[in-house]
Amino acid sequence: MVILRAGLCPGLTAEMIQLLKANGIVTVVDLVSSDLEEVARKCSLSYKALVAVRRVLLAQFSAFPVNGADLYEELKSSTAILSTGSRSLDRLLDSGLYTGEVTELTGAPGSGKTQVCLSIAVSTSHDLKQNVLYVDSTGGFTASRLLQLAQTRTGDEEEQVSALQRIQVARVFDVYKMLDVLQELRCSVSQQVLSSLGPVKVLVVDSVSAVICPLLGGRQAEGLALMMQLARELKTLARELSMAVVVTNHVTRDGSSGHLKPALGRSWSFVPSTRVLLESREGTWGKASTCRIASLTKSSRQPTGIEVELDIGSCGVLEESPAASGEGC
Amino acid sequence: FYTAHILLINCLVLGFLILFSFLFSGDVVEFHGPEGTGKTEMLYHLIARCVLPKSGGGLEVEVMFIDTDYHFDMLRLVTILEHRLSQSTEEMIKQCLGRLFLVNCNSSTQLLLTLYSLENKFFAHPSLCIVILDSISAFYWIDRSNGGESFNIQEMNLKRCAEFLEKLVREHHLALFATTQMIMQKSSNSTESSIPLKLLCEADVEYRPYLCKSWQQMVTHRIFFSKQCNFSSSKTFSIVSCHTKKNHIIKCSFSVAECGVQF
Repeated sequence: MVILRAGLCPGLTAEMIQLLKANGIVTVVDLVSSDLEEVARKCSLSYKALVAVRRVLLAQFSAFPVNGADLYEELKSSTAILSTGSRSLDRLLDSGLYTGEVTELTGAPGSGKTQVCLSIAVSTSHDLKQNVLYVDSTGGFTASRLLQLAQTRTGDEEEQVSALQRIQVARVFDVYKMLDVLQELRCSVSQQVLSSLGPVKVLVVDSVSAVICPLLGGRQAEGLALMMQLARELKTLARELSMAVVVTNHVTRDGSSGHLKPALGRSWSFVPSTRVLLESREGTWGKASTCRIASLTKSSRQPTGIEVELDIGSCGVLEESPAASGEGC
Repeated sequence: FYTAHILLINCLVLGFLILFSFLFSGDVVEFHGPEGTGKTEMLYHLIARCVLPKSGGGLEVEVMFIDTDYHFDMLRLVTILEHRLSQSTEEMIKQCLGRLFLVNCNSSTQLLLTLYSLENKFFAHPSLCIVILDSISAFYWIDRSNGGESFNIQEMNLKRCAEFLEKLVREHHLALFATTQMIMQKSSNSTESSIPLKLLCEADVEYRPYLCKSWQQMVTHRIFFSKQCNFSSSKTFSIVSCHTKKNHIIKCSFSVAECGVQF
């Protein structure tokens, strides 16, 4: 709801605003949708001036259509596929994380979502030499674990340090702080504030459900509106800044069928383009094992239902890298 | 009274041909369904059908795609076009994509203002006769929260959008396809639906309308998407098309492969 004010666009003077307000036209939408001949008559303003103002306001506030061929050219050069560091996970995701998309990891507590996120962060910062923003809302992020993962990639201390330096961490515990962090990221890129390292390529949000679940329930729409606003921010960052966004979510049991389904409800289910479910498998003697099954539950490129096995050990899900020191996984 | 036809093969193609002859009287088609039921894939199928050259089985018309939730996947569309064209060169793909216009809106206010400014585009491009809006329900919760206690204010933007869309469809002889997400549980209150309950049960469809009345009343064909549970490993989806004025129902199934929708 943009309120008309003097100087909003050339040609919109304070006197015009007063006359329009006296006739019930207060916002941009009011002016654009009214019959300008009638307005010119009632407010005794020049019809031509009103038409000119309307044209400028529309150009300022509406979105411009882009031709498909031009968009395709742009996407060909800006879309990247980022490997996650694990060949099996890459196979599940059709070669890796795609920039411009939101990928969701779902699973019960202890299924390994945070470990996969940490592995992706280290793989991106060390192997691909790209920056990562890790937004932690669960407290599951520890720098020491990150160092441990970096040490499995390289024995060189300087390389380990520069890998860790490329990962920025934001600890947030409510949705407003999370929205602040995301908007700050968007502003810093749009104002081209150059950090010495370059643009963020991967955004990890662990987890979304931790900040949204407390808002849902009850009959008010505010919680759902905040959730959709967060969804919008994440998708805008992914598309406009060419980032790969990874989010984690809990699971709940479906009332009627008993199947596991992602938490946060139907409205959220439309948001990610790809969804992976992590489940643990019991070890042969009933002991807890490090083996996890990752299955693809939503994808626009691959058939759903593909499963791969992941082993989450001291290397996370990262695979043996040729440059690693003699330490085994 | 209604007649229920169950067409198994190529029904949407046939249906589309029937629709095409009605295009100039301004059909408004709504794709409704929960997540993962193939609505977006069907839109790609539709776009491919429209932008492909006549030699490739297309209609060579221009399409305006309004994307409200950054859903559109250009690379997926290109994959589908490549499969459909017998010789898919870069040139041909670019030529097809040149018939597609995309615009992203991030709020219902921006959607309304964008529709106003798109009016000129329709005047300038007479072959632009299909408008796709994916999805029209994207701002539902945000609008509800911004509107406070009054339903009128909550629905005001969408109502104006619907009214302006109706004007555009009528004046420029367009066909409008819009998707709505099924985000509500099935309602036990049958009076909310504009389609007779008996018809819905016959069609085995869950439908709970939640968008403003102006939108619901301008829809001429409502197509419900759902997953078909079958015991074979292939995933199929089913669609049920209801004509709101004539109470016709058409059902059929499709599956999604690398090359797109297959009936």
